[in-house]
Amino acid sequence: MSEQVSTMASALPAAAFLVPFAAGAIVLSSRRLPSWFWQGVSVLASAVTLAAGVWMALATVQGIVLTGWGNELRVDALSALLVVVIGGVGFLACVYSLRYVLPGLRARVGAEAAQRRLPVFYGLLLWFIATMVWGCVTNNLIMLFVAVEATTLASGLLVAFYWDRRALEAGYKYLMLLTIGITFALLGCVLIYAQAAATGELGGGQALHISQVRRVAHLFPARTALLTVALLVIGFGTKAGIAPFHPWLPDAHAEAPTPISVLLSGVMIKMAVYALARTTSVFFPSWPQLTVFAVALGSFTMVLGIVVAFTQDDLKRLLAYSSVSQIGYVVAGVGLGTYLGCYGGLFHLVNHAVAKGLLFMCAGAVVYATGARRMSDLGGLASRMPVTSACFVVGALTIAGLPPLSGFMSKLTIYLALARAGLWWAVAIAVLASLLTLAVLVRAASAVFWGAPRAAVATLEAREVPLAMWGPMLILAGVSLLLGLYPRVVFPLVDGAARVLALIGR
Amino acid sequence: MNAQGFPASLVETLSMLMVLTSVATLEIRRLRMSAIAYSLQALLLVALLLSFAALNPALYGWAAVALLTKAIIIPWFLFRYIGSREAQEEKPLIGFGPSVVVAVLLMVGFYRLTHSQFGLLVPTALAHQEVLRTNLAVASTVFALGLYCVLTRRDAVKTVIGLCLLENGVHLSLVSLAPELPETALFGVATEVVVTVYLLLYVIAGIRREFGTTDTLRLRELRW
Repeated sequence: MSEQVSTMASALPAAAFLVPFAAGAIVLSSRRLPSWFWQGVSVLASAVTLAAGVWMALATVQGIVLTGWGNELRVDALSALLVVVIGGVGFLACVYSLRYVLPGLRARVGAEAAQRRLPVFYGLLLWFIATMVWGCVTNNLIMLFVAVEATTLASGLLVAFYWDRRALEAGYKYLMLLTIGITFALLGCVLIYAQAAATGELGGGQALHISQVRRVAHLFPARTALLTVALLVIGFGTKAGIAPFHPWLPDAHAEAPTPISVLLSGVMIKMAVYALARTTSVFFPSWPQLTVFAVALGSFTMVLGIVVAFTQDDLKRLLAYSSVSQIGYVVAGVGLGTYLGCYGGLFHLVNHAVAKGLLFMCAGAVVYATGARRMSDLGGLASRMPVTSACFVVGALTIAGLPPLSGFMSKLTIYLALARAGLWWAVAIAVLASLLTLAVLVRAASAVFWGAPRAAVATLEAREVPLAMWGPMLILAGVSLLLGLYPRVVFPLVDGAARVLALIGR
Repeated sequence: MNAQGFPASLVETLSMLMVLTSVATLEIRRLRMSAIAYSLQALLLVALLLSFAALNPALYGWAAVALLTKAIIIPWFLFRYIGSREAQEEKPLIGFGPSVVVAVLLMVGFYRLTHSQFGLLVPTALAHQEVLRTNLAVASTVFALGLYCVLTRRDAVKTVIGLCLLENGVHLSLVSLAPELPETALFGVATEVVVTVYLLLYVIAGIRREFGTTDTLRLRELRW
């Protein structure tokens, strides 16, 4: 870590999460206004978050660290990267929701109740984005925990939003399991704080600041450090969907309204990985043996997720299990702790956010057009929904890691990093899981878009979805292609973020 | 911190009562009575924090936060949900006898663990204070009983009460682990528990309407 970082006080870190938070409060308190008002405020506020993220990213790639509220908020390249991803996917999910949410809600609860519940959707959606950004910009250990738990609370009612049997069950499991899991992370954070304070090197409230704790972590007793890491892995790992703490994930990601699935699978689990990396990476320089554990955990997650995905008939559940598998790549890469591993892991984090957001949007488009989600009910949609099917293929090939798409670049980097660390077994597992991913997603694509149309569902009358839905899909597909052909576009930012995390061998 | 004028025997009595009320909360099958037992336990938590405040005045603030969130707001939510119904919990997966055995084993185990390994958890001068070791043992027991309750009870409302027990254990453990924790942080943590309980009870009310039961074993729409 270079010690000569220049810090600069800035209002951007606070604005990035206070704007969507305030906008959410406005939407929730103005429920009598027409729906274009809530939707406009949502799109605008998420655009502001994206803009703040890009702005911060431009500053951090020049080696500047932005701080706010004393040292309570702190944005380095890693935080900026996450804010850009959250803002970008959040903005597109808001645009996508403009045409998606109301029809589905009307069909379930009737026109009048739908109109009443729509502002709740947008208000909570904005709070969900705000809490995720807050977690990524805070420099306070306990507030990091509070923010991660706040994302659960903001999204809990969104998961159960349709309020039918499946959604309620998913919502109950989601709130209960994540709250219990995250409590372990609280204990882990408190232990880090207690140990940092006990070293006597940090005065005042500095032991709460993650950037300060890093400097004294080598003084922690070894066994206490291991216990702390275990608690953090259980806590933030539950939130990130790392196996074996993943059972809530397919339920929640599949039952939530599609724009929320996009955010859950696309960015929320990444934000939990960020929290895990941020907190555990303080230990890596002193205890390099932790990295093998992280890689093993990641490999296990990769295989388990994709094997279960094979057995799914429900398109959204299949995608959710694939997310479990892909988060394994991110954990294996970042957990390796080397520069190359962190670069690959973080690059894959970006690519997966883009591609899985895209795939969930395509699945949502299929549901919007046909009302069906089970692959055995669907078929032959390619000619009727050309944009959706093309976007789905792009997303699937990105996730599977085929050139020239962006997933290829990041997965290749992770393979190389694992090989360089001498973990050949992990390379073999990662490649195998990628081949399985290709098989699962190609099979899904062919069943939904090319197989023979089934009579049971009205696939014959299906039409392409409106512009507000295929627009965001096309943008994400374009980003996926762009990052595959010109990875240099994001190189400075991902490079800066990897430098923040990678402390071994540098 | 010095032990001058510290009511050690009071703390021991309160700690013992904490564990007893946890077991009562866990075992009583009438939801109203169980919620009453939980409320008593929350009051004991406040009393414990107050007596520890003789060692560390910052804990008066903690006691106030605990009183407001755990002893007033959460019981209010629970009673409002349970109402005047004679609600009997769904039959638990593990009955009374084995549960008491589990509780005793947990208590003894944590007592031994915290007295032999306390330095592992808290590498500070606090590690030498007997009363804080005992406190951590009690906190861990309450935490584990809460987890046990969530895992083995079928009734969704009872799992929420278990979650509250678990959070009380966490709150109490912070006295031993991080007594200098700033109040803003503590307030954030306590507020989230309140919101969690509210949202869970809200969702469970929906479950009761849709499924006609709060038996979590009957929630089986989503498999694999």
